Amino acid sequence: MSQQSEPIVDIQGLNKWYGALHVLNDVDLTVASGACVVVCGPSGSGKSTLIRCVNGLGSYQKGTLRLAGTTLGVNARETAAARRQTGMVFQSFNLFPHLTVLSNCTLALQRVAGRSRAEAEHIAMSHLEKVRIPEKAKSYPGQLSGGQQQRVAIARALCLNPRLMLFDEPTSALDPEMIKEVLDVMVALARDGMTMICVTHEMGFAREVADQVVFMDGGCILDRAPARDFFGGSGHPRSRHFLNTVLKH
Amino acid sequence: MGFDLAFALSSVPTILGAIGMTLSVALVSCIGAAAIGFLFDVVRRVGGFVGLTISFVIDFIRSTPLLAWLYFLYFVLPFYGIRLGSLTVGVMGLSLYYSGYLAEVFKAGIDAIPKGQSEAARALSLSRRDAVIYVIAPQMLRNIAAPLGNYFVSILKATPYLAVLAVPEMLGRAFDIASETYRYTEPLVVAGLIFLALALVISHGVKRLERRLLAVGAR
Repeated sequence: MSQQSEPIVDIQGLNKWYGALHVLNDVDLTVASGACVVVCGPSGSGKSTLIRCVNGLGSYQKGTLRLAGTTLGVNARETAAARRQTGMVFQSFNLFPHLTVLSNCTLALQRVAGRSRAEAEHIAMSHLEKVRIPEKAKSYPGQLSGGQQQRVAIARALCLNPRLMLFDEPTSALDPEMIKEVLDVMVALARDGMTMICVTHEMGFAREVADQVVFMDGGCILDRAPARDFFGGSGHPRSRHFLNTVLKH
Repeated sequence: MGFDLAFALSSVPTILGAIGMTLSVALVSCIGAAAIGFLFDVVRRVGGFVGLTISFVIDFIRSTPLLAWLYFLYFVLPFYGIRLGSLTVGVMGLSLYYSGYLAEVFKAGIDAIPKGQSEAARALSLSRRDAVIYVIAPQMLRNIAAPLGNYFVSILKATPYLAVLAVPEMLGRAFDIASETYRYTEPLVVAGLIFLALALVISHGVKRLERRLLAVGAR
């Protein structure tokens, strides 16, 4: 990966403790513009904690985290501006149940980006078309299947035109037959050149679009490799073991 | 002394004449209690010394009798130069007293909203204020409609306390008739029946509102 410009995410020596529990242990990670990084590892390994730090949802005690050229937590206004460059997709979708699909997408466009209602709806519809669900614009989240809800959540995150998309186990809460429709959207997004960090166990997805696969265990990054090498079986024994378990499953 | 229906009916217009006072006292107190209670809960969430102070204030309010509050506001405040009309004191007392209870209702209503909702709001860079207005409050309203309605009925039923301040509400009127005629049964029964009717109408309305709120989106 050549890096002409500054990476979008530059994490150096990140440490986080929950009381005595060391959940992030000297984590270093850089993500270049346009790259797709897949973070995998057993549950409790700190994957979600890590990407929640990237957009400021989680805090950390030691280390530096530069996002879009801004060191987070130094200047409140700059931190807010950098955070605005990120979109986040959650395991449990977290759509607003009292708002229609369209309003879920337009809320931040109107309140954060200051768009008029008409502009916001126009932008939102274009993203709902991108995730192939424009016909549900007037529905409420409760009327949608899990896969549809997650695609709406992706559209909602895309509306603010982020430079970096964060996915926190986006398919873990889905029935198997719905996983594909969400992964298809994510693959298309990656092929479009979106910078992405995905916490996921979908190794097929990783193999298809990941530029880099990161394996975490016990709060440490144990292995990081280009996808080809990672699946080639040349990694850390712990990650090879994990890979075998996940792929056989 | 039996129940004199004719006398009961003759007392109806006088008692019913105060229904406007009862309802407006109840309505203003409901709004006041809800506003103060919501504010209490929002400020309590700030935590630290301020949060602890508010928690104490809420517990204090909930652990003291309403009548003590009314007497205190009416008889003690004037010593400190604060002279308020009996109606003002009554509405203030009811609002303050029930705000302590409503703060707990708001707390439960907000705590019942999944954490992911405010996280999603933060991930979308919504300001704290916008998150409350557009994400938290509407969902809270859905959660609290039923308990809020119950407290509104309680406030309505607590308006007779204001009789001690000579606010001319329904039970006070009934008592006036009783003291003039020495017949207690009829006016008290009439006032009680009117309260019963009002309470039934309000709880029915709240149930319908709740059903409508729940119908939106949730299926």
